[in-house]
Amino acid sequence: MNPKSGPPDRLACHGHSTRRHFLHAGPLALGGMFFASQAAQAGAWPIRRAAGSAPAADNPLAPRAPHFAARAKQVVFIHLVGAPPNLDLFDFKPELQRRDGEDCPASFLEGKRFAFTTGVPKLLGSPRKFAQHGEAGMWFSDALQQLPGLADELCVVHSMHTEQFNHAPAQLFLLSGSPRSGRPSFGSWVTWGLGSENQNLPGFVALISGGTTLDAGKNAWGSGFLPSVYQGVQCRTVGDPVLYLADPPGMSRELRRESIDAINRLNQIQHDELGGPETATRIAQYELAFRMQMEVPEVMDIGRETAETHAAYGAQPGASSFANNCLLARRLVEADVRFVQLFDWGWDYHGTNPAEDIRDGLTASCAAMERPVVALIRDLRQRGLLDSTLVIIGGEFGRTPFREGRTAEGEILGRDHYPDCFTMLMAGGGVKGGLSYGSTDELGFGITENPVHIHDFQATVMHLLGLDHKRLTYRFQGRDYRLTDVHGEVVDALLA
Amino acid sequence: MNSRVIGSYTSDRWKTARPVQRISPGVRTGARCLVVACLLVLAAEGWLPRASGLQGDGGPSFGRAIRPVLSRCLACHGPDEEARQADLRLDLFDAATADRGGYRAIEPGGAAKSELLARVTSGDPDVVMPPPSHGPPLSEAETRLLREWIDAGAKYDEHWAWRAPPRPGVPADPAGWANGAVDSFVAERMIAAGLQPNPPAGRAALLRRLALDLTGLPPTLEQLDAFLADSAPDAIGQQIDRYLADPAFGERWAAVWLDLARYADSQGYSSDELRTIWAWRDYVIRSLNDNKPFDRFTIEQIAGDLLPDATDETRIATAFHRNTLTNTEGGTDDEEFRSVAVVDRVNTTMAVWMGTTMACAQCHTHKYDPITQAEYFGLYAIFNQTTDTDRADDSPRLMVFEPETQARREELASELGTLDLRIEANQKRQLELGAELERLGPTVNVPVMEELPDADQRETHVHLRGNHLTPGERVEPGTPAVFHSLPAGVKADRLALAQWLVSRDNPLTARVMVNRVWEQLFGAGLVTTVEDFGSQGTPPSHPKLLDWLAVEFMESGWDLKHLIRIIVSSATWQQSSKAEPAKLAADPENRWLARGPRVRLTAEMVRDQALAVSGLLDRKLYGPPVHPPKPDLGLRLAFSDKTTDWTASEGGDRYRRAIYTELRRSMPYPAMATFDCPNREVTELRRIATNTPLQALVTLNDPVFVEAAQALAREMMTEAGTVERDAILRHGWRLGFAREPSTDEVAVTTGLFEQSLSRFNQDLPSAMELAGLAAKEVAEEELPRAAAWVVVANAILNLDETFQKR
Repeated sequence: MNPKSGPPDRLACHGHSTRRHFLHAGPLALGGMFFASQAAQAGAWPIRRAAGSAPAADNPLAPRAPHFAARAKQVVFIHLVGAPPNLDLFDFKPELQRRDGEDCPASFLEGKRFAFTTGVPKLLGSPRKFAQHGEAGMWFSDALQQLPGLADELCVVHSMHTEQFNHAPAQLFLLSGSPRSGRPSFGSWVTWGLGSENQNLPGFVALISGGTTLDAGKNAWGSGFLPSVYQGVQCRTVGDPVLYLADPPGMSRELRRESIDAINRLNQIQHDELGGPETATRIAQYELAFRMQMEVPEVMDIGRETAETHAAYGAQPGASSFANNCLLARRLVEADVRFVQLFDWGWDYHGTNPAEDIRDGLTASCAAMERPVVALIRDLRQRGLLDSTLVIIGGEFGRTPFREGRTAEGEILGRDHYPDCFTMLMAGGGVKGGLSYGSTDELGFGITENPVHIHDFQATVMHLLGLDHKRLTYRFQGRDYRLTDVHGEVVDALLA
Repeated sequence: MNSRVIGSYTSDRWKTARPVQRISPGVRTGARCLVVACLLVLAAEGWLPRASGLQGDGGPSFGRAIRPVLSRCLACHGPDEEARQADLRLDLFDAATADRGGYRAIEPGGAAKSELLARVTSGDPDVVMPPPSHGPPLSEAETRLLREWIDAGAKYDEHWAWRAPPRPGVPADPAGWANGAVDSFVAERMIAAGLQPNPPAGRAALLRRLALDLTGLPPTLEQLDAFLADSAPDAIGQQIDRYLADPAFGERWAAVWLDLARYADSQGYSSDELRTIWAWRDYVIRSLNDNKPFDRFTIEQIAGDLLPDATDETRIATAFHRNTLTNTEGGTDDEEFRSVAVVDRVNTTMAVWMGTTMACAQCHTHKYDPITQAEYFGLYAIFNQTTDTDRADDSPRLMVFEPETQARREELASELGTLDLRIEANQKRQLELGAELERLGPTVNVPVMEELPDADQRETHVHLRGNHLTPGERVEPGTPAVFHSLPAGVKADRLALAQWLVSRDNPLTARVMVNRVWEQLFGAGLVTTVEDFGSQGTPPSHPKLLDWLAVEFMESGWDLKHLIRIIVSSATWQQSSKAEPAKLAADPENRWLARGPRVRLTAEMVRDQALAVSGLLDRKLYGPPVHPPKPDLGLRLAFSDKTTDWTASEGGDRYRRAIYTELRRSMPYPAMATFDCPNREVTELRRIATNTPLQALVTLNDPVFVEAAQALAREMMTEAGTVERDAILRHGWRLGFAREPSTDEVAVTTGLFEQSLSRFNQDLPSAMELAGLAAKEVAEEELPRAAAWVVVANAILNLDETFQKR
């Protein structure tokens, strides 16, 4: 049972007034929605929970109080899969432009390995033009036309660094704190720590665009060793929004209602005879499944939005696109989903084909990306949700200040993977707007000021959510694990 | 007495916070009450030797009462030198009792003089241990135990799980309930906990429980009727033998082993290309069906290639450790990922056989268990000598050809060698020969372990902070000193390690395996942390039973079927699973086994049962992975044009058991993943069963389950041999649950049938759509009835009882 006197039921304003009906007056008035049937077993859930929260064996997704006052309640994490070229978008390097075509200084290459580059590559000054925007004079390249208009909302970290230079491990590092698979993802940790405010929807939703699953696969939204109830649920804009949500052909909603009623009555008969908490939980789960069947398609139906909104995002109902996913993200935030993870495939600018060219290819990608992102941020602000929602935008690493080895002789300009510095953007939920944080050297090879490691970034996001990353630990195979492994410091300078 | 109180002495602190607080008022009003209360609990729970009492010779048991308390100190005062604070070590008697310049942390026989006691009871936040930043203070019950123990001489015992098990004497059975040693051990603890056993399960329920546990499939109606009619005293024994001999036994138990071995049909990481390794999965099923002794099963999988009598079969077995991931993403360092695979082999071996968690010792000396980083790399050195190096083709591979195929291949090869390609006709011939060679594929094709020749063997160094690029001191192959030794004079290679794992001196392998089997049959192990038998794991609920079973297992010749037979023949396992409210309150986790098991079916069983009861299941054994229908997601794999979608198999392969479904790590089969089947990237030692609405959506709406409902409806209508409604319903109930429905159940279900029928009488097109398979050979006027039976069958496949072994 939701123990908190929560915020006003936003969906009720949309006319779905029965959303929490079951929680209070379902057929059996059961509190536990999601339930791990072995939760009660000794040693099965060796956890340290968020402070002040009771063990929630009966409902692992019940909302839980954070460790301390949160600045953000929800997260939209937009992962630009493949890693966008920071030096052609956010990190202006005039000296690199002046030295375009020169041999890369040996000092920058010593002891380093690159994915696709050997020998001495040639420096690549950005072919883009840069200009300053907003009150703080934040730099953006001309690949971006709309995002710079939000400069005063954005918190831009130029000094991110990671330890991985291949996609899958780097994505896992960003999203689970470890380069190897098997750890819980960011959203799973957060959902585990804070629960979910809406018991009729998954607490953690993953949305994919670009037609390709990301390198790290399902691990990027998996629950690792946390109970599977905390894994992200992949939702889609084409077909069933959640797998198997639709009743089978020939089964009407009314008949499904009658059949679930019968199933629950039969389960109740068995429960009366044999006892056991799992049976009671299953009755609740079938009720919830029925309600999800109602509510998920409503939330996922962007056709309910106005033509004006569709135009703002560039969304098209019935299609599968990043724009649709951004609009969906807003709808999911509005419906109290805790963590919305977007993956947009196609940001791997090696220069092996025209789409991966940092000139026209990048312009096209940015146009498709920034319109919905800008619309999302504005939309959240307009609805009063931005203050409590953290929006994160970025890739898994940066890109080299030199041309990628395989494509160095070609017409297309591309860059190799680069872990030592890259840029992440944040907006909303407790971060300082109009802030450019950290800096890199004049060629963009290394950080000169205020480095932010992946684990620091994770610790900071956790902090914004009211969670102490060092205290949110889970005992697994003899060790206490956490998102930030044994590292990570909160970057106070980013906090509003 | 609430049994959860006892949990406060485990690592599982939060869970027991409330009960401890509840008894704490007694502490303030009278310490004596608490001592008595504690002792009652401890005695009842077996944490103390029951006879020893308060003033027993050694005070509280070190292993069961003190070690869990002390272990809270060991992160900073344990084996790890780098993390050690104040140069104080509390895990060893000599170090803990050493003179520290006029005082001792522990003064044996003198708690009042012991600094440890002063520190854990201090009210000063700068003095108290553990420091407030490291966790809550010790409870008064815990400090009381420490005081008693120190006053009694502070006797340290070796951790229980690191001593080879003796065979305990079987206790007497005053209740006359026991049907063998298992029950005698269980009865002893049950009575001490103030509980009485449940009556035996009904015969039908018992047969379903047995069939599901032994074969993963429900009993057939023929088996059920024959058993119900069999009044012989050993009727259940006959059924046990029957199911143990059923080839489905190997399929059901192989699923357990596949989790441990992290078996999948793809390579993992980003590209996650398919991998051909199913011959190893078949090896596991065959070995279990043949009841291959578990020691032999172990040796073949760890070192089958190094056996003097190595065969194709023992080489296939070594694919156990070729289930590690292969990274084919461009630009990756093969040596890095080879090293990751070796690390995984060490961790997996120690976890699966030894119940010992090693992951932390990769980077630093273990904080709780006495395993150093150098010892970790001693094990690494043993696995560091194979020829595989993260290659995209997973080489080395074993390929086996049929003799005729092999002969023909040799012919073709020799002809190819003689062709003069300057002649145009020969060029055409060359293409033909090449094509034929390609067609003549192997019958076995599997990645295997292959040892480097002695001259090429690698040197092993400690990886500083776990990083293979920063080598530290050189280490020789070997096993950790805390365990039994490798035999002298034997080369420390994989074969020696394999024999070491199944040595009679090994304190762990038999206990760990027995515990795992127990967990499968009861839903929880005697040691609930099946993955951790170290000092941080939970102590066994029935230590003597665990040891007795472990010794029995070894002395029977590591006979797995014998072990399972002993357990399922027990009155304990055969009890009714009815959970009376009082019993549920007294023992919510059924730790004292005063009722039979009730456990959610595994992901595999959920699928297999639906296909079995509906008559769709194809019982074909073995072979390449199959592709049951699944929704297209329209996604490509990273760096590939390949889709993660598949074309559904045709014919019988659509309806094979779950163990044959292709498992792609990056995109596991949705219905399996939803029911908690792991994606097998690392060894999965314990599946935690969840109960979620997404599961309901699978079994209500997944076309595979809808088709099963249609087939079940057809089966009900045709096999009941009547058109009489209630008879058809009873038939469905027997198929689904191996029992007759109650009057109430008939009333609810016929209500649903009539509601559905009246809807479909108004809506023939919907009836036709939903009836599907059930509409075959049905007259048009019968369609609404067929569709209504599909609704009922869909309900049968979704009742809680369907998902429970009980």
